[in-house]
Amino acid sequence: MSKSKAGLLQGTLDMLILKALSLGALHGYGVGQRIAQISDDTLKIEEGSLYPGLYRLERRGWVESEWDVSDNNQRAKFYKLTRAGRKQLIIEEQNWERLAGATMKALRAS
Amino acid sequence: MSRIKATLRFLNHWRHPDEIAREVETELRFHIEMRTRANIEAGMRPDQARLAARESFGDFDRVKTRCCEISRSLPFDSTVLKMAMYITIAVLAGGTALWAVNMPHHNFTGVLWQVVAIVVLARAFVVGRRGVSKKQYQVNDSEKFDEDKSVASKVYEAHGAGIAAHDDEGRTPVERIFN
Repeated sequence: MSKSKAGLLQGTLDMLILKALSLGALHGYGVGQRIAQISDDTLKIEEGSLYPGLYRLERRGWVESEWDVSDNNQRAKFYKLTRAGRKQLIIEEQNWERLAGATMKALRAS
Repeated sequence: MSRIKATLRFLNHWRHPDEIAREVETELRFHIEMRTRANIEAGMRPDQARLAARESFGDFDRVKTRCCEISRSLPFDSTVLKMAMYITIAVLAGGTALWAVNMPHHNFTGVLWQVVAIVVLARAFVVGRRGVSKKQYQVNDSEKFDEDKSVASKVYEAHGAGIAAHDDEGRTPVERIFN
């Protein structure tokens, strides 16, 4: 897969964060790392922008947080997906597939 | 359940505003610390690693402020609250108008209350109309422009700049207009 510039649509970060957290609880730094990892290092979130995203998802009840101790014995805030967050991820994935399908269809039109 | 937790957290944050700022700062500093370690492991000198970590994070204070604002905002859709406010204003205005109608017209108090009723009704109309316009604007701008749906999504491709549809504070175009 080409690693040329790949801009993402608005709202995509929500889906990526939800997806990253669906694989297990993570702190903010870990979320960014996991997104990079699951996208084969193609996508990297601008680090500062990640946190407002996490806070908004938490405010909407899709994610909840808890302070705990990280692997390096530091106090860190861990996020995990709620039941509502799992449902939302399914909706986001379906929307994304529909959008991607429609875009591909449009591009293939002759 | 998570909604209840979010509401409780909101109330707690309302009572202890400094606590949010401290928590956010601790969280963001943890991120920079982790990035610094990763940079050192990648071969950077400690001072270089810290500098690079701060640079890759962006504007620390701005992110912190934004996170604090989001934490202090209402944990539910504020449209419900606004609608309740419009209804209250309308009821008050109606009550005032009825009262004014029953007041004797020849005295000063009666005239004054009629003026108050007109002003309150006009205000309710303006506020209500603004609310409706805002709602229509949001609907017309598709679900991807929903205030809460979109978050800061400056997403960068691994080897170059990506497309930034949001501003530095992670606000969507709609949020920039209304906030």
